[in-house]
Amino acid sequence: MKKAKIATVIALILIPLTVIFGRKLPGRSYYMTSMLVIAEIMVPFFLSFEGRKPQARELVLLAVLSALAIASRVVIPIPNFKATYAVIMLAGIAFGAESGFLVGAVTALASNFFFGQGPHTPWQMMAYGVSGLVMGLLFAKGCLPHNRLAMGFSGAAAVMLITGPLLDSSSVFIMLSRLSPENILAIYLAGVPINASQAVCTFIILFLLGKPFLEKLERIKLRYGMGDTVN
Amino acid sequence: MKQDAFSRCHPAVSFLFFILVMLFGVLIQHPAFVLGGICAALSYYLLLTGAKGLKFLLFSLPALILIALLNPLANRSGKTLLFTVFNIPYPLESLVYGTVLSGIFLLMILWCGCCGAVMTSDKFTSLFANLIPALSLLLVMVLRMIPNFMRKGRQITGARMAIGKSVGGDAKYTEKAKNGMLLLSSLTDWALEGSIVTADSMRSRGYGTAKRTSFMQYRFTLRDGILMVLMGFLGAGVIVSMFRGNTAAAFTPLWDVAPLSPFGLGCYLLLLLLPTFLHLKEALTWHILRSGI
Repeated sequence: MKKAKIATVIALILIPLTVIFGRKLPGRSYYMTSMLVIAEIMVPFFLSFEGRKPQARELVLLAVLSALAIASRVVIPIPNFKATYAVIMLAGIAFGAESGFLVGAVTALASNFFFGQGPHTPWQMMAYGVSGLVMGLLFAKGCLPHNRLAMGFSGAAAVMLITGPLLDSSSVFIMLSRLSPENILAIYLAGVPINASQAVCTFIILFLLGKPFLEKLERIKLRYGMGDTVN
Repeated sequence: MKQDAFSRCHPAVSFLFFILVMLFGVLIQHPAFVLGGICAALSYYLLLTGAKGLKFLLFSLPALILIALLNPLANRSGKTLLFTVFNIPYPLESLVYGTVLSGIFLLMILWCGCCGAVMTSDKFTSLFANLIPALSLLLVMVLRMIPNFMRKGRQITGARMAIGKSVGGDAKYTEKAKNGMLLLSSLTDWALEGSIVTADSMRSRGYGTAKRTSFMQYRFTLRDGILMVLMGFLGAGVIVSMFRGNTAAAFTPLWDVAPLSPFGLGCYLLLLLLPTFLHLKEALTWHILRSGI
């Protein structure tokens, strides 16, 4: 736990330094700067998971959720109808923000071993992770109610406003030769239709499948007495 | 899959190589470096992937041309005007810049392709097993479960088909979606039950009681050490020439490219061609040995 806290503090100092120093470098240095910032954001999450020394049950459960998120892409043979985001978000809702981030990041990394790694991998890890994180925070105890409408709408909003734009940001940094408001706006606008279709799909899946999915997880927790091992 | 000489090196060697070449590939915009980089990367890429890789490259060609041609519209600060489209200036410098950018993009595609072929998931996890044991175990489990889940998904589909619940290719969209979600739901049930069995089995075998040792297929040999030192020197050479400003290149508003430095470019190309050299050396040795018989 201690290591993770130190890493968080270091990251909080390093990120502004990276941005300030990165601005001084010539050319397309913003590409490197953005990559470094992403790494600095993700490392504390990973270290805190390592420092916690996760139990076997938690480890396997997270792996299962992540593998389900990837396999769902193949199991549901409809183009553009991906349950990946929905499964990551449900992981976040059921096991908390931190686990949600982890499931998302591992999902992106592992799926790219099948679909090809690229310069977009860190962005994808970040975007998927944040979708799990946000849903975990929104549906923590005492916040939003665990009903289908709340889950569907907040899931769609998270895809539309956070995950989609984060993925589009990778195109901004990879493809543009100069950052100007118009260029950046053009790329984000080009991403809107795709993000919207993903948001609708996530809404449908969370609306129909969210509640039963959570019940399945609850049942497993109850049946095997896992209240303590999984936060 | 056929393995070349560089793929058989220790994962740390490959990892350092790809980190270095991708870093330089992104940072350096000097046309000579980019062109040389593409040639070197292409030689190794084709060595690894053969005709299949070439086909993939042809597919990505339109995107590369598009990046080059569209850059002037996004970055209009060039001074030499070629023509105007709908009152938008289309300067020469920006077109050149776009071409270099799409070259860098191609370089990234090539290196990512090589990296995917060389840095397989087992190397990735064995490299990080000591640094982040829980996370790399998580990754290994996920990678193992995916084919497993897909197989189970096909079994469930088959079982549903046998009781007349199959959904044909011409079914309505809603029906397909509903069927898919039912499938996912039953797959989840099965996977969660299985996860508990796996976890309990892990625990009864002593997971978490001691430091996890990992299966190491790769040994760090003298050759790996020499390669890493060599890469370190060549990389340092490139960095020195970067700090001297020999790789600087600005395209807009005016063409301003640093004069070519043989030292920096030489270091860069030698570094990039290392895997190809290793392969050639091995092929040559093999040829000589065979012809000696």
